[in-house]
Amino acid sequence: MEEREIAFLTVPFGPQHPASGHFHALLKVDGETVLELEPHPGYLHRGFEKLMEYRVHPQNCVLVDRADVLDPFSCELGYANAIEKIAGLEIPERGRYIRTIMAELGRILSHITWIGVLSMVLGFDSANKIAWGDREKILRLNEIATGGRLYPCYLCIGGVRRDISREFVDETSKALDYLEGQLSFYDYFVFKNETFVMRMEKVGRMSAKEAIDLGATGPNLRACGIDYDVRKDEPYEVYPKVEFNVITREEGDAYARSLCRRDEIAESISIVRQLLKNLPDGPYRVELGPGCITLEGESYFCLESARGEKCFHVVSDGSPCPYRVKIRAPSFLHTLSEFPYLARGSTIADIPAIYWSLDSCPADMDR
Amino acid sequence: MRKMGYLSDKFSRTFTPFGIVKNLFRKPMTLQFPYESLPPVEGYRGRHVLDLDKCNGCCICCMICPNKAIGLVDFRGRKYPQVNLGKCCFCQLCEEYCNVKAITLSKEAMMVTMDKESAILGPEALSKLPTQ
Repeated sequence: MEEREIAFLTVPFGPQHPASGHFHALLKVDGETVLELEPHPGYLHRGFEKLMEYRVHPQNCVLVDRADVLDPFSCELGYANAIEKIAGLEIPERGRYIRTIMAELGRILSHITWIGVLSMVLGFDSANKIAWGDREKILRLNEIATGGRLYPCYLCIGGVRRDISREFVDETSKALDYLEGQLSFYDYFVFKNETFVMRMEKVGRMSAKEAIDLGATGPNLRACGIDYDVRKDEPYEVYPKVEFNVITREEGDAYARSLCRRDEIAESISIVRQLLKNLPDGPYRVELGPGCITLEGESYFCLESARGEKCFHVVSDGSPCPYRVKIRAPSFLHTLSEFPYLARGSTIADIPAIYWSLDSCPADMDR
Repeated sequence: MRKMGYLSDKFSRTFTPFGIVKNLFRKPMTLQFPYESLPPVEGYRGRHVLDLDKCNGCCICCMICPNKAIGLVDFRGRKYPQVNLGKCCFCQLCEEYCNVKAITLSKEAMMVTMDKESAILGPEALSKLPTQ
């Protein structure tokens, strides 16, 4: 009898798939089972690391926002801190408090957007719309504090660009109260929903050792039971003065990652409340004097962004522009190492759930 | 047991008269845009306004602009900045670095044009105050 070669079907996922974002992957499938996943990043590559070599430091603080659209404050904070480390600048206490508040609001913003997108890909369209509506509350706060909705351009070298007003403090407390109420609604509507639990539980499971080997950071690592948070382990800004818990889970599946993020919203709300309560008076920015800052040296700064550990390595050779900037983006590893590993052996229907439970932002991945 | 709890919870949320009545009187999340819109906040970063009397044509706004959206043009015998709103990212660096506070960002957010040329605002168009 003639031997036939078994041909496996190749199914593309993205970049026009509503659940993929600007990301493309090829799935090699055998029936419903995914045998192999080949990620093809680069659809949103804008070359930030190179662009930054041609711009002076204040311009880079504006540009770096775009590297991670959903959590822009973490990028600004990372770049500004890396430069301040070379320059040896001491930031006033009020400036540090405002920066930390904005970083935590950015985390809430990113996580709420993630609830929306995850609900959408799992078929809960109402939850998607409600989450994007709640996101507007934080965007309005951005607008009041910084003057811009999505791209705040707010943190700068030496502090923040303008002071926060009384109106911002009042509006923030109102928005946080509202969001805290909404969390119980999300619990009922999304996280404890039976369909959601069935689609997320025991899907995309990785052990603690696998997570470390694959380079997982942030909520993806903490969902595997590892208590690692840059805010606690290598504190920056005013995190040492704030009381908060590092949220961990043991299961390591998509459901554990989801609950980790949900609990982090509650934790971030409590951090912002503490910071607003203890907000000191005084200057919010160091005056750097006229002209462009020229620096010579090298620095490395890492921080906990909404998606995981984000690092900035800046080399400056004495000119007003940096010589080289390297951004370690958490989404890059989430999509290129964890996603193919977790997708192997799962079904096609689980692919969007695994992809979004890792919460990778294509803008952050490609940079 | 979990299923029973879920069903009873769902029943109480959906079928109680209170839930229905509450949904009827709840404010919608969105605004009907052309007829109503959110008021602009204090310090919103919108269209530029140029004070022709203060500007000394030093070109520091052109140099600091990250997108090179600002250039100098001749106007009434002097050099003044012109802004290409299509390139501008509204970062406010021009306002921050202007030594004489001649260029400022106003609250005007409606900047839609039908062609690329009308997005380039010369000194005269920039000097007009925004319509509120």
